[in-house]
Amino acid sequence: MGKDLVKHQLRNIGVTAGLLLLATGLAFILFFFISKSPANITLFYFIGVLSIARQTDGYFYGIFASFCSIIFINYFFSYPYFDINFLLPTYPFTFSCMLTLSLATSASVSYIKKQNRALRLRERQLAEAEKERMRENILRSISHDLRTPLTGILGSASSIAGDLESPVSPEQQKLLSHIQDDAGWLLHLVENLLSIMRIAGDGTRLETVPELVEEVIDEAVMRLHKQMPEARIDISVPEAALLVPMDAMLIEQVLINLLASAVAHDPDGHSAHLTVEERAKDVAFHITDDGVGPDNVRLFQIFNGVSSDSSAADSQKGIGTGFSVCHTIINAHKGRIVAQNYANGAEFMFTLPKEASA
Amino acid sequence: MSKFTALVVDDEKNICDFLSKLLMQNNYRVNCAYTGRDALSFATSQCPDMILLDLGLPDMDGMEIISQIRSWSGCPIIVISARSQERDKVRALDAGADDYITKPFGTMELLARIRTSLRHSNRLNSGGSLPNHPYQSNGLTIDFSRRKVTLNGAPVHLTPVEYKIVSYLAKNSGKVMTYSAVMSNVWGPYAESDNKILRVNMANIRRKLEKNPAQPVYIHTELGVGYRMAEDGQDP
Repeated sequence: MGKDLVKHQLRNIGVTAGLLLLATGLAFILFFFISKSPANITLFYFIGVLSIARQTDGYFYGIFASFCSIIFINYFFSYPYFDINFLLPTYPFTFSCMLTLSLATSASVSYIKKQNRALRLRERQLAEAEKERMRENILRSISHDLRTPLTGILGSASSIAGDLESPVSPEQQKLLSHIQDDAGWLLHLVENLLSIMRIAGDGTRLETVPELVEEVIDEAVMRLHKQMPEARIDISVPEAALLVPMDAMLIEQVLINLLASAVAHDPDGHSAHLTVEERAKDVAFHITDDGVGPDNVRLFQIFNGVSSDSSAADSQKGIGTGFSVCHTIINAHKGRIVAQNYANGAEFMFTLPKEASA
Repeated sequence: MSKFTALVVDDEKNICDFLSKLLMQNNYRVNCAYTGRDALSFATSQCPDMILLDLGLPDMDGMEIISQIRSWSGCPIIVISARSQERDKVRALDAGADDYITKPFGTMELLARIRTSLRHSNRLNSGGSLPNHPYQSNGLTIDFSRRKVTLNGAPVHLTPVEYKIVSYLAKNSGKVMTYSAVMSNVWGPYAESDNKILRVNMANIRRKLEKNPAQPVYIHTELGVGYRMAEDGQDP
């Protein structure tokens, strides 16, 4: 920034000096070879002052050039030549008029330039706001359009399954439960895609608000229970209420993804543990399972470019996508996410900084 | 007992079909409307006992329908919405909707919401015996006339503000109450728009009532919207 400013000022000074020299040079040619009338020479300087005001930033250079021109005209091109003298009869009047005229011109040119710049800035801001609004509308309509048919599928399937008047055969019941499972999985995928779209808009502009960690966990676990009614999550949070800046919707998605993968990998109990730990600069969330989960960790590494083994990439419905979504979200929050294996289980850990970094 | 009449408003025919089938299975009489205009004319001519309303209608803003119906009727309105529209939910609730449900919803969840809303509206219509009747759920008792809160028999000491919040939520148990509704009820209509003070109070309440604040039994958070207190177990 500072370097840029110096460069700008140097350019301004160069332009001013160059144009003044050019005007003076032309005036000398006119003066010695064509006519000694100061009127034409004055016009040269006016054009010079005008161009300087146009080409430089702010009012200063235009005004400075105005004063210089008056002095030059007086010194070089008006009687007595090569001498400063403003006191001959009519000179004070002539020169003060010239000065006023040239000051006014340069000032108005600078003013117009400033207005122009403000206008352009406003236009750009408006265009950006418009883009943001469009993105939100698209997101909203996509989310509506994707969820509505899934609601219909899930609802119709469960309403057929629960119809007491015309019960379905066990065979059909099984097919119905497949429909429900698959629709549920699609829904999980849709939620993840929508989360990514919220971030992927333009760069990493994230709106974080201080949220109570326990409230986010509560809602995440409730939503997980809708997907996996049998899941048992064992939660422990610090005694003091923790306010952490975050986009709650996205962190909820991270918690759901990690908990769902942990629960899916628990061989018998459908259980997982979530521990929140407050540290000096950040808050750490540990998600552990008791399963034999090296798969999970491997999958996590594959999806985050640590390992290039692609054989497992398409196994495990949606868990892989879920991991890369987690990675993106936590990165956007300037946190860290890691996975590691234990003797009897796996642990996922992510951190969120306590202070919102600008 | 005569059946309750429900009006389902959604531009998706599939959703309407499955909702009306579900509601009919559960002994409701159902009307469907696919547009806002139809919804309003149905509502005025049939006076349904409750309305299920999708906010994204082709011809009208859902908010407009809520405020038009609210100008002459207090019948429960449950808004059906997609999840990413927190702001819309809050606007709908503050405009007079009773509750909302998020797409996709389980059938049990929807039926429970409908029952809660109907019960609340019945109580309001019949004059309401609610202040004298203590709230009870899972070992938590709130005696409104004595202003006493007990948890499994042991008294819980709440500050006056905390008691105000809890009793307001308990009187509206089962329904989501927006931050702004709770704020204006507890701190008055000129309360600040920043809800941080409410959330700090809620964190303290949770530590007094809940065994594990991250797995609350009594007061659940609906992020970005408000709070929902567990249904009163003693309600008829």
